[in-house]
Amino acid sequence: MAAVIKSKEGKMEINMQSCNTFAEMKDQLNAQLKSVGDFWLGGTVSIDTGYQVLSNKQLEEIQSILSRHGLNLQSNNSIVSKELTDSDNEISPFEQLPFYEDTMLICKSLRSGQRIVAEGNVVILGDVNPGAEIIAGGNIIIMGSLRGMVHAGAYGDDTALVSAYRLNPTQLRIGSHITRSPDGELIMIECPELARIRGGKVCIEKLKI
Amino acid sequence: MKSRVLVVTSGKGGVGKTTTTANLGTALAMMGKKVVLLDTDIGLRNLDVVMGLENRIVFDIVDVVNAKCKLKQALIRDKRFDGLCLLPAAQTKDKSAVTPHQMKNLTNELRSDYDYILVDCPAGIEQGFRNAIAGADNAIVVATPEVSSVRDADRIVGLLEAAGLNKSRLIINRLRSKMVKRGDMMNIEDIIDILSIDLLGVVPEDEVIVISTNRGEPAVMDNTSRAGAAYRRIARRITGEDVPMFTLDDTNNFLDRFKKLLKLAK
Repeated sequence: MAAVIKSKEGKMEINMQSCNTFAEMKDQLNAQLKSVGDFWLGGTVSIDTGYQVLSNKQLEEIQSILSRHGLNLQSNNSIVSKELTDSDNEISPFEQLPFYEDTMLICKSLRSGQRIVAEGNVVILGDVNPGAEIIAGGNIIIMGSLRGMVHAGAYGDDTALVSAYRLNPTQLRIGSHITRSPDGELIMIECPELARIRGGKVCIEKLKI
Repeated sequence: MKSRVLVVTSGKGGVGKTTTTANLGTALAMMGKKVVLLDTDIGLRNLDVVMGLENRIVFDIVDVVNAKCKLKQALIRDKRFDGLCLLPAAQTKDKSAVTPHQMKNLTNELRSDYDYILVDCPAGIEQGFRNAIAGADNAIVVATPEVSSVRDADRIVGLLEAAGLNKSRLIINRLRSKMVKRGDMMNIEDIIDILSIDLLGVVPEDEVIVISTNRGEPAVMDNTSRAGAAYRRIARRITGEDVPMFTLDDTNNFLDRFKKLLKLAK
């Protein structure tokens, strides 16, 4: 389905809820803007991306497409951000995941000395042992024990998150932040956990789904 | 019987690869199997010393691959057991004296005459390691209950998997049950949890090993040695026998058994 352009109080609003991937979103946007021509030249645009939350990098890309047609991006509305402002209800962190096109699925454990580098998200069906490394542009989900080093949002995305069935990393990096387990007695927490940046600090919280 | 090539490896040095190779080889030979021990630690050979065969070396593995002698000439027969042989490493060369391809040919040549070919792998992950695993069917990974050893073993298992050796089995060496009970040493479950490979056996810490190594008589020949008994059990497991695992409650002390009976002890 195509993206829908409509006018709202003299502003252009583009609804892209129907787009499933970011690439599709960009294609649709290009096609639609070409069809409108320069009618809106110099105007501002708000885009509605539904359940997809765009990363800063992706917003920049959208902005550059718009500016090629002489338009400015005013705001990016998504259902998630609407819900966030509408109510204080706790929503699943996974609904706020920054959106990445590619996801690499690895169906084995990573052992010491093994290293995964991915542009987008990484999902591991297994453990990540000490000495193993994962570098991902997006989010990292580990369906097992995380004992090694992971870097989510490695290309500067501070909204990326790391989640593991057992989160005991030697070191955990998100965007430009680096943390490690506290010194002293090892605390074992017997539940899945999630790490993300809140208020400029890496926060570890219980995973609620 | 189809012959098997087993490489004994660990990554880290000093965890007991050579001791394990010597003891398992001797134990298998005691069970009537035809065994050849292959030392691939060129430049730092030890297996001949541990086996007490150092003074009988004429030719070595490098001479064999360079066709300076026949394979049969280089093999040292251990007179204590029928069917136990050692192919020693060279001491004056280094690891690059042999290639993985040559090792593969060598192990294949040995297959026709022996039931078990045990390859003693050098420490490290460089050419010596690649040589040692080249002709192997399966690997035995030796680790001690220390974080550094387990870390290296994990690396080794990863490299073995990358080389197509997927069914590695683990020997936990030098376990001190008292320290484990106190919580001062990694326990068996922790190690298996990280390495996620099958456990082949657990060898307790034993002073007899030091004595037997110095004497050149593997500990399995000593009936009083606990480590020797553990190696004999592991050898039986290698042949496919179902032998129960060593447990932490390995004391045969009368008082302990009495306490256990009354459920006073854990």
